[in-house]
Amino acid sequence: MSPDPNLITRHTGQSRIERNSRALVRIGVSALARFYREREQPILGAGFILLLILAWQSLPAIVSLPRGISLFFTTPVEVVKAFYRLVEANEIQSHVYVSALEFIVGLGLAIAVGFPLGLVMGRSKVIDAMLDPFITAFNATPRLVFLPLLMLWLGIGIWSKITIVFVGAVFPLLINTYEGVKNVDRVLVNVVRSFGANEWQTMKIVVLPNSVPYIVAGLRLAIGRALLGVVVGEFFGASKGLGFMIATAATNYKVDVVFVGVTIFMGLSLILTHLVKMVESRLSRWRLEEAKTF
Amino acid sequence: MAPCIQATNVSLTFRPKNREPVTALREFSIEVATGEFVSIVGPSGCGKSTFLNILLGLLKPDAGETRLNGTQIAGPGQERAMVFQEFGLLPWRTVLANVELGLELKGVAVAARRSRAMELIQMTGLAGFETHYPHELSGGMKQRVGLARALATDPQVLLMDEPFAALDAQTRDLMQAELLQVWDRTKKTVIFVTHSIEEAAYLSDRVLVTSARPGRIKQIIKVQLPRPRDYEMRLSAKFNEIKAEIWNALKEELLGRGAGNGT
Amino acid sequence: MALKETISEYRRPLLGVASVVGLTLVWEIAYTYFIPLDPFFFTKPSLIGVAVKDQTLSGELWKDLAISSKAFLWGFSLAVIVGIPIGVFMGWRRRAEYVLDPFLTALYASPLVALAPLFIIIFGVGLTGKVALIFLLAVFPFIFNVFAGVKCTDRLLVNVVRAFGGKEKDIYFKVILPSILPYIVAGARIAIGRGIVGILVAEFYGASEGIGFAISRFGDTYRLPEMFAAILLLMIMAVIFTEGLRKLETILAPWKIGQEAR
Ligand SMILES: Nc1ncnc2c1ncn2[C@@H]1O[C@H](COP(=O)(O)OP(=O)(O)OP(=O)(O)O)[C@@H](O)[C@H]1O
Ligand SMILES: [Mg+2]
Repeated sequence: MSPDPNLITRHTGQSRIERNSRALVRIGVSALARFYREREQPILGAGFILLLILAWQSLPAIVSLPRGISLFFTTPVEVVKAFYRLVEANEIQSHVYVSALEFIVGLGLAIAVGFPLGLVMGRSKVIDAMLDPFITAFNATPRLVFLPLLMLWLGIGIWSKITIVFVGAVFPLLINTYEGVKNVDRVLVNVVRSFGANEWQTMKIVVLPNSVPYIVAGLRLAIGRALLGVVVGEFFGASKGLGFMIATAATNYKVDVVFVGVTIFMGLSLILTHLVKMVESRLSRWRLEEAKTF
Repeated sequence: MAPCIQATNVSLTFRPKNREPVTALREFSIEVATGEFVSIVGPSGCGKSTFLNILLGLLKPDAGETRLNGTQIAGPGQERAMVFQEFGLLPWRTVLANVELGLELKGVAVAARRSRAMELIQMTGLAGFETHYPHELSGGMKQRVGLARALATDPQVLLMDEPFAALDAQTRDLMQAELLQVWDRTKKTVIFVTHSIEEAAYLSDRVLVTSARPGRIKQIIKVQLPRPRDYEMRLSAKFNEIKAEIWNALKEELLGRGAGNGT
Repeated sequence: MALKETISEYRRPLLGVASVVGLTLVWEIAYTYFIPLDPFFFTKPSLIGVAVKDQTLSGELWKDLAISSKAFLWGFSLAVIVGIPIGVFMGWRRRAEYVLDPFLTALYASPLVALAPLFIIIFGVGLTGKVALIFLLAVFPFIFNVFAGVKCTDRLLVNVVRAFGGKEKDIYFKVILPSILPYIVAGARIAIGRGIVGILVAEFYGASEGIGFAISRFGDTYRLPEMFAAILLLMIMAVIFTEGLRKLETILAPWKIGQEAR
């Protein structure tokens, strides 16, 4: 970058070197300011998170914690160390494997059931009316109430967890697919029908594309419910899995291990949510840019 | 020779749930010759859109019959195509894919329908916008897509339901001129519903004025102006006479509604 | 004739009632006469009905419900008191959004119940632990719904109030509050579900009272009818609350009906 000539001529009276170095500092500062201005949002966001982590890390060095609290206290560095220990001992891998299996199978089943059922309910008034009371009731109640029942029925193996993941994830998928089908524009249905489309073609050309954004939103909710199912299911009746690891670590006051588990869950859900968002924006290039809301 | 479109004593009553039934059309009859450009003007709610939907085959009349070239209309078919007031473009499809819709449903091979669609995109002045999505287009361009889509399957009859109502005045004038050019070239039979007397007079061979609901034909006005028509013609005395004639036929119906025997 | 019309008018609710009644009957009959499953693991509607009657009359279940409700109300109220101001602040101040949004979004997207065991060993299984967990889960829907509500507030209305001589206070109470009200209600609806999750997890975990404890104890002691009765009661309450709030939402903001996914 070449120095701005105006900058130099304003500073006559100073030695050339001094002038140049000052100018350089100025350029540096203004470049820095511009860098900040252009990226203020990510800098502030990431900065705050870093600051929190730093504060957490340095807390025990600044204030001496009372015994009662230091028992439950850990620092980010401790958490990272615990993570490496668990990886080296080949312990965490098997937990992750079991949790992932429960998550994938449960969510897969939920998709396989919720999506077609939502389509059928959206197109058939009778089935819709008949299933509606059940769906309203089950959707309003967190399906975790069934956990003790499922434990009773299915024991502590992976199937009780797969089932709780399934019942957690199936309703958002079903309901969102249903809403997507219901909210289809009548005019568009008429347009395709006027070109001679049959029911199946109408479905393919209008109804399905119209429900895609709803389905993806449903998938995002379903992922959250599925993770919840994995975590809580493993708390209360499992012999493997990240939730089990967290629960046992907590009872043994291994707070660093608790945070290893929590961080892995956080990371997973962030990655998955991000993936779904990417799919969403890919699939909805045709939509108007709307205000992002929750 | 049978008229291209023939509707005899068509009646239709809507019976919505939990509401009073509405008779939209009662014994509605018209005939339209092949290649003719006919406009329908009438008070709002008198059943014009309903009639077009019957011709399109989306609605079935309670009584009466509709024929196309002497054959009964039984459902949608590709000899008829509609240009919708609200455009009715699939928002997730590009301009090109929207224009291809009818050909796709007809089972035309990809390459063939692409070249046919490109032809119409050229003709309607949309070249360069093939990969745009509807939300990236202006109102006038959207309606060009609607027109191109309707023309793509080369239908014999073009049904147009207030196609230019959502456009601003200048775009509307432009689109009218372009429609006349296209019509001149393709020689379609057109049934054009509008609320604009000027538009009806400018475009049509005949203007049908309908009564308030339930709609029936009240008066038929022949527009004996030479073609091709241009914008200057709208300033002529003859043109204004025709407009006045349409207005006089319509006036009573509109005032009648105003006096409270409508709805 | 009149009957026929009534039927067609109420077709939808009638079909719903019919399918609920039908399923109950099929269950009852099948269990009684055809497939008598092990009563330790399964039960039937008539027995559940008796259990509902006994439990609600004896007041045992009410006691558990009252204990859970107390924790719920505390946690929920704290979530409202803390969540709404944070949401308003984030929505109204751009820099506050930049600073807080990534951090809070990350927390909202994560299964924070994973922290439940830690909360329980720190705060115990009593009221404090439950309240802390419920608060943690219920606060985010308030923050983010209010945030979205403030962002969607029409800036023109703010200027209108200013132009007529309104003060900062008027802007908050005459423009922002009314326009975020439906969002708060929507947030409350989501928060209720998450709050119940908090109660259940805390009470499954080792409480000695409360509805979650009751359900899990009935399970452990193979008292299936009582367990189903407790679940049914919780479901009915959840439906009343969420559907009530949904109604309230449509009353407060009729223009938003059916917009957002459930
Ligand atoms: N699907 C329907 N169900 C019930 N009533 C309907 C339906 N479609 C139309 N109607 C009623 O039928 C009458 C005629 O409607 P139509 O849309 O054909 O009128 P129109 O002449 O096209 O009016 P406009 O000029 O305002 O477009 C109106 O009173 C309308 O309310
Ligand atoms: Mg109309």
